[in-house]
Amino acid sequence: MFWRPELPEGEYTLWISMPGRLQMSLNAYCAYGLRIHSGLVCPELPVYSEEAGDPDVVISLLPPVPPPLQALENGYYEVRPGLFRLSVPGVAQFRVEKGCRILIEPLPDVPLERVRLFLLGSALGALLYQRGLFPLHGSAVETPWGAMIFVGAQGEGKSTLAAEFHRKGYRLLSDDVCAVALGAQGLTILPALAQIRLCADAFERIGAPQGSHFHVDKYMVPMAEGYCPDPMPLRAVHVLRHSDSENSASWEAPAFELILGFQRVQCLLENLYRPHYLKGQGTQGDLMRMAGLIAQKATLAAVTRRRNPEEIERFVGFLESAWAERFAVFSPEKRN
Amino acid sequence: MRFGAEDKLSRVPNLLSTELDQETVLMSIDAGAYYGLEGPARTIWEILETPVIFLMLVQRLVAEYNVTPEKCGADLQEFLAKMEREGLLRVE
Repeated sequence: MFWRPELPEGEYTLWISMPGRLQMSLNAYCAYGLRIHSGLVCPELPVYSEEAGDPDVVISLLPPVPPPLQALENGYYEVRPGLFRLSVPGVAQFRVEKGCRILIEPLPDVPLERVRLFLLGSALGALLYQRGLFPLHGSAVETPWGAMIFVGAQGEGKSTLAAEFHRKGYRLLSDDVCAVALGAQGLTILPALAQIRLCADAFERIGAPQGSHFHVDKYMVPMAEGYCPDPMPLRAVHVLRHSDSENSASWEAPAFELILGFQRVQCLLENLYRPHYLKGQGTQGDLMRMAGLIAQKATLAAVTRRRNPEEIERFVGFLESAWAERFAVFSPEKRN
Repeated sequence: MRFGAEDKLSRVPNLLSTELDQETVLMSIDAGAYYGLEGPARTIWEILETPVIFLMLVQRLVAEYNVTPEKCGADLQEFLAKMEREGLLRVE
């Protein structure tokens, strides 16, 4: 039996802060430059070791709720200024508040791995919007020329490319969502590895029938060496594309073309993470202005290559030469 | 479509805009379309921030650019018609 008090909106904290009613273990993580205290263990997130200071974000796991979950405005989600709600049939309902709090009400007996799938994807994504960050759907690596982002449609190889860079000894900044921040040091990418392949994408787009199954494919990246824990200055955003040309045995150099004019803004906005979570939040104007800033300060390039998985190693080499040709190496002084 | 001298012109709401180098970039939220405005087009867009009648718009452009009122009026007719077709312009 699941007991749950009737509470007016926004008074969840009051309840969870009452001692004795709910056991909350605090797990401290750091992602997107945020200190996160979570009532739910998230092995996918980098652990935050320093104790000092208040968390930027608190994630609370509330007692399970019996089905059915609340119906929301857009079927499974609802966006208002400072408030995002998500109801995932068969999994949980989420409430993301003011960029600093995530409340999770799971269904009884749901595997927590499934809950984390939506927590680390959708809920955190919505939180990034609430915090005024610019979340691009793509991967990012740290290079001597600055941080490089790879975006592109599904299947264009964003993660595969990041994995190959990682194999070559580059440090990863992100494998799924790149949060671009505007700070005193200019534009930076806030590092975050989810270490989880979000096959929830299909659900997000079309909604899922009750009782459908989600697949969670995991791949592990050794955090300590392969992961860059600090924000890095953004150098370029690459839109990955495949050409239609037939595969052949010989190597064909990809095309590296600069994106110019207003298409830069367009390509940034088109590659936002879950852009529909932005509508209703009232911050579209800010995001648009930020797109203009990113377009001016970073290089935007379309990189078109053939569909040949065996060429990934040469592709990395090609990008390294393209960067060396165009960009100056970042000096350490410049970073700070 | 011909705009009359007293037609009151303004931007439609539901557009997002940002500055990019010498360009103003517009995005129509409803249509998901993007537009880049440069030079006089950008000036016109800036003037349209507050509603203005056609005649006044011509006068302000003539003051800023080296163009006769006739030529400016004719070009403006064409440009505004295009903006209206794209759903960027409100005419009252």
